[in-house]
Amino acid sequence: MVAGEPEPNESPNESAGSAPDPSEPAGRASAIRPFLLTAGRVAGGGTGPPLPVETQIVATASGISVLASLAFEQRDIVAACRQPQSVAELAARLRLHLNVVRVLAEDLRAAGHLAVHVPHAGTTQDISVLRRVIDGLRAVPDSRDTLRDSG
Amino acid sequence: MVSVPSPTHGTHSVTAVEPPPVPVKLVIAGGFGVGKTTAVGAISEIRPLTTEAAITEVAAGVDDLSHTPGKTTTTVAMDFGCITIDPTLKLYLFGTPGQDRFGFMWDDVVEGALGGLVIVDTRRLDDCYAAVDYFEHKSIPFAVAVNAFDGEVHHDLDEVRWALDVSDHVPLIVFDARTTGSVRDALLVVLEVALSRAEGATGG
Repeated sequence: MVAGEPEPNESPNESAGSAPDPSEPAGRASAIRPFLLTAGRVAGGGTGPPLPVETQIVATASGISVLASLAFEQRDIVAACRQPQSVAELAARLRLHLNVVRVLAEDLRAAGHLAVHVPHAGTTQDISVLRRVIDGLRAVPDSRDTLRDSG
Repeated sequence: MVSVPSPTHGTHSVTAVEPPPVPVKLVIAGGFGVGKTTAVGAISEIRPLTTEAAITEVAAGVDDLSHTPGKTTTTVAMDFGCITIDPTLKLYLFGTPGQDRFGFMWDDVVEGALGGLVIVDTRRLDDCYAAVDYFEHKSIPFAVAVNAFDGEVHHDLDEVRWALDVSDHVPLIVFDARTTGSVRDALLVVLEVALSRAEGATGG
């Protein structure tokens, strides 16, 4: 959770068992605070295209070691990335705007606290990857009993 | 119940740094309330997550983007889930926002997708035109899936194909967004399109 960030409409993490309601996202990201977090910077501003939403981010050993000295969102991001996370997952779990996560992740990478694994552009044409996805998907059973809560 | 090889997903590593999987993604598109989140939830191994994505909204009727005053960026909620194929490969499913007849540019989400599934409610065919157009324009492999609400489809598939004006090589299927197996099979149809296209590109 973002430290000290009151969100008027925020509901607690979805309680297990309740059906997700597509029309009512639980806790929308704040509209103004993102600009404070990134000092007004936006993703993709100059240095290249924005990180794809599925980009995997993982904390580095040095990031973990300085965790206590990091502030707020930076700390939340590095802590969450003890296990690899996509940009989209990070944004959802920390209730941050996608573009805020992009900017902060780039900062943290520059500082050596995160490793950012941008997907290769050629993957969509990679026959062996496509075959593995197809085989993996075929192994999904006809019904799933329970969904794991994320996190 | 058949016991299934569930993805090994223990809580490994306290001290970081396992190599991340290669991420791939499919996009699930369609009009508002058509069953995108239902479909994601039916097959995702995690409860669908929601995040805020930016999309570029182009005012209707504006064709030439170079002189467009009507182009704005909107923030919308986007639902997604994932399936761990194996420890080195993870499939993400993104439900693209898009709930009206404006043209949307989902590049932010769609760039790099293996393919797309456009979900159709036959009672509101109009709602999916934007998605069909988009995938055709971007040459992204896709299939169209009619969501059989309550097991019923109100139109003949040939009529739907005619009404949507999708070409014959685009698969058109009926599925049930609530059912894991049905969503799985629909996604497999998309992936087969992607595979045959990739094979065609390399094999000649």
